[in-house]
Amino acid sequence: MLSQAVVKRLKEIVGEKNVVTDKVGLLTYGYDGTLLSGEALGVVSPTTTEQVVEIVKLMNEHDIKLVPRGAGTNESGGTIPSEKSVVISFTKMTKIHEIDTENFVAVVEPGVINFDLQVELAKKNFYFPPDPSSFKASTIGGNLGECSGGPKCFKYGVTRDYMLGLEVVLPNGKVIQTGGRNFQSEPGYDLTRIIVGSEGILGLVTKVFVRILPIPRAKKTMLALYDKVEDASQTVADIVAAGIIPTTLELMDNLLINTTEDFTHAGLPRDAGAVLIIEVDGYQEDMDEQVKTIGEIASKIAKEFKVAQSAAEVDQIWTSRRSAFGSVARVRPSYGVNDITVPRSNFPKAIGGVLKVAKDFGVTIGVVAHAGDGNLHPLILFDQRNKEETETVHAAEQALCMMALDLDGTISGEHGIGLVKKKYLDKEFTPAAMEAFRKIKRSFDPSNRFNPGKIIDL
Amino acid sequence: MGVLQDVYEMLNTCNKCGGCHTACKTYKLTGAETMVARGRIQLIKAVADGKLEPNQEYEDAIMSCLLCGECAVTCPNGVHGNELVMAARRDLKLKKGIKPFVKSFALNTLASPKRLDMGFRLFKGMGKSFLNKIDGLDYFRGIDIRNFPTAKKPFLEQVPEKITVQHPKHKVGFYVGCFLNHALDQTAHSVVKVLTKNDCEVIIPKDQVCCGLPQYCYGDFETAKKNARKTIDTFLDKYSDAEVILSACGSCVAMLRHDYLKLFADEPSYLEKVKLFCEKVVEFSEYMEKIGVDQTKLHNSTPLTVTYHDPCHMVRGLKVTKQPRQLLQMVPRIEYKEMFEANRCCGAAGLIQAFYHEVSTDITDQKTQNIKDTNADLVATSCPACMLRLQGGINKVGQKQKVMHVADIMANAYED
Repeated sequence: MLSQAVVKRLKEIVGEKNVVTDKVGLLTYGYDGTLLSGEALGVVSPTTTEQVVEIVKLMNEHDIKLVPRGAGTNESGGTIPSEKSVVISFTKMTKIHEIDTENFVAVVEPGVINFDLQVELAKKNFYFPPDPSSFKASTIGGNLGECSGGPKCFKYGVTRDYMLGLEVVLPNGKVIQTGGRNFQSEPGYDLTRIIVGSEGILGLVTKVFVRILPIPRAKKTMLALYDKVEDASQTVADIVAAGIIPTTLELMDNLLINTTEDFTHAGLPRDAGAVLIIEVDGYQEDMDEQVKTIGEIASKIAKEFKVAQSAAEVDQIWTSRRSAFGSVARVRPSYGVNDITVPRSNFPKAIGGVLKVAKDFGVTIGVVAHAGDGNLHPLILFDQRNKEETETVHAAEQALCMMALDLDGTISGEHGIGLVKKKYLDKEFTPAAMEAFRKIKRSFDPSNRFNPGKIIDL
Repeated sequence: MGVLQDVYEMLNTCNKCGGCHTACKTYKLTGAETMVARGRIQLIKAVADGKLEPNQEYEDAIMSCLLCGECAVTCPNGVHGNELVMAARRDLKLKKGIKPFVKSFALNTLASPKRLDMGFRLFKGMGKSFLNKIDGLDYFRGIDIRNFPTAKKPFLEQVPEKITVQHPKHKVGFYVGCFLNHALDQTAHSVVKVLTKNDCEVIIPKDQVCCGLPQYCYGDFETAKKNARKTIDTFLDKYSDAEVILSACGSCVAMLRHDYLKLFADEPSYLEKVKLFCEKVVEFSEYMEKIGVDQTKLHNSTPLTVTYHDPCHMVRGLKVTKQPRQLLQMVPRIEYKEMFEANRCCGAAGLIQAFYHEVSTDITDQKTQNIKDTNADLVATSCPACMLRLQGGINKVGQKQKVMHVADIMANAYED
């Protein structure tokens, strides 16, 4: 428990309402999108950088750890409170300071919800490309902490590619600014890119300079339907081999088609083995040519290829895709999600690997993938209440990670390492590389105060 | 334990994806995880698992839910957060009873026609003039009580039990509901006018009571059932010639049509009768659209811009959204403008506006801003509770729009 003195001081810093210490409040900040949970000593929600600085100093005086948190939708356990820690929730730092369309920059606070930013940008005909499936709930701070991806990554890259600069409160309470509104990289170390994806273990971001883009003039959304998921993966490889870069190249298998269809009624055929959602954007004049080329490639294998006819139809398709994770509890109450990623050309092999793991371990796996990136999300479905089954699932997850590494891939494409994948990190990196990680962490945070226990153990 | 065990599989189906964050107004405006479906569900589950003993903070989390149902629509897993909250409220009622204040002032008064009548008479007679004397008390917990309308005498005392027309084509039983009876009697008259202008004979039973929704929402199923049984018996036994049972309150209709079935699910001997009743229940705009309105009889010379607010029970309870908009647009010289988030809660949410007034005031302020952005002269809606809340909210921020029931706007377009 936090001492009365600390609670009093926290309330002085952020105001009475922005401090939670009761059991009910703490319970609701103990979980995220994973099956893990923990309990913090308190939750504090600052509204300014100055308050964050004061909180960090106070916690240092009392040797209490800080666990940063946005919306708590992550899939890696990155916001699960560890022992003797206070959760610092950024959901009340929601200002959009500036949208600078001349310089393609927006300046926002970390608690701004990705979707809310998109809405404001759209009014000026701009958008922020990183669009993780959770974008209606997740925050910019959380997106940058995990270096989130999203369907548009294939053409546009991940969150890291849109971070121009950050204001960061360091573990010693000092504030630095990295980068800024300039597009050229900053002189010296690229600290922005070290902080992005560091899952809150190096510093607390209090202001973000993001790169924004004008909304493309035109887009087309296509669906290719397959008998088997392996067939769909072959089209992915063929499109990439032909040197075409669609905006998105998303895959869902039969299981996900059905669970999302239960929710959205988008009209995806329930008997299809897999669907590819392919979107292209650019100038109106280019659309027909691109659709034609992709149609020709897909039709070699697909049993059906069609172009969405209305904006409403496109919306429905994307609602389906975005609700894929959320919808699987219709089948079984618990799921474990991986974000293993392989080089694009190895995508069909990775799909084969996933199917093999499902068979070898006797588990149900639904496959959804940012196929263009080679980024797979095998969702293993089970019931956490069944201990034996849970053990099997953990073993299957490990097998999936090993399979990806064997294909020159990585254990995590976009969800972060957090607690869930920490045990596999040294399978991907050599001891020397792991030591380099630790040295960077120690140089920022020698006392291990920020989000301890995530990514690496010191 | 039983109530929560019954919904345990649904509790366990929430996989904490956070999709409901975008749906939940109480979360959007507070940023507090105890105020969103995901948080509430995890708390209810903790109680079901015996890991949490219900305390004041838990009650606040459960009681501050608007029951607007938007989370249920948004959840990819089909988890109905509002139903789980209802189960938690029932569980709390069984374990701890209902707080005396809520019970005596709100629920018991509403449930009894006599007490409700007396309450309104008192409010009219003493309360209102007393309140007017206190400076700065224009708004009690964000509710515009100084302008809170009261009927001169209850609507049910103003009208005969049967209102006939020259060439009756339909026979309609009118379930008036508490708000139209005691506060917005003009709207009740509008409903009758629109019905009679469309060749409906209107039957208005005098001995009708509160539908039971307020009590049901606080877990007091016993009182809700008592009122439900009275309502069903009144309409089916004494006025069985009514082809339909019509109400102009979306919330009442949702209760009469859907929740009565749930209330009596454990009483098979009575359930058949309940089903018969539920099938006869219609909402005003739904019925008018169904029987067809003769547009040539509608006259209006003043150009008006109108926007429509979807009450929660209309849009998510009954899934009626098109009909009220269609009816409005039948009136000549009305320009219809859709507002942003028309289908989101206005902040009234039954008694939430009184008990959790800070968050509900913020919700209402957002709504009035959305109304302002349409430049509308009139706000139409289909629920008296929303009408009062919206008008109060509009008055509070000094806007000029008038809030009317769809029936009022239509009634004005008929010659007397």
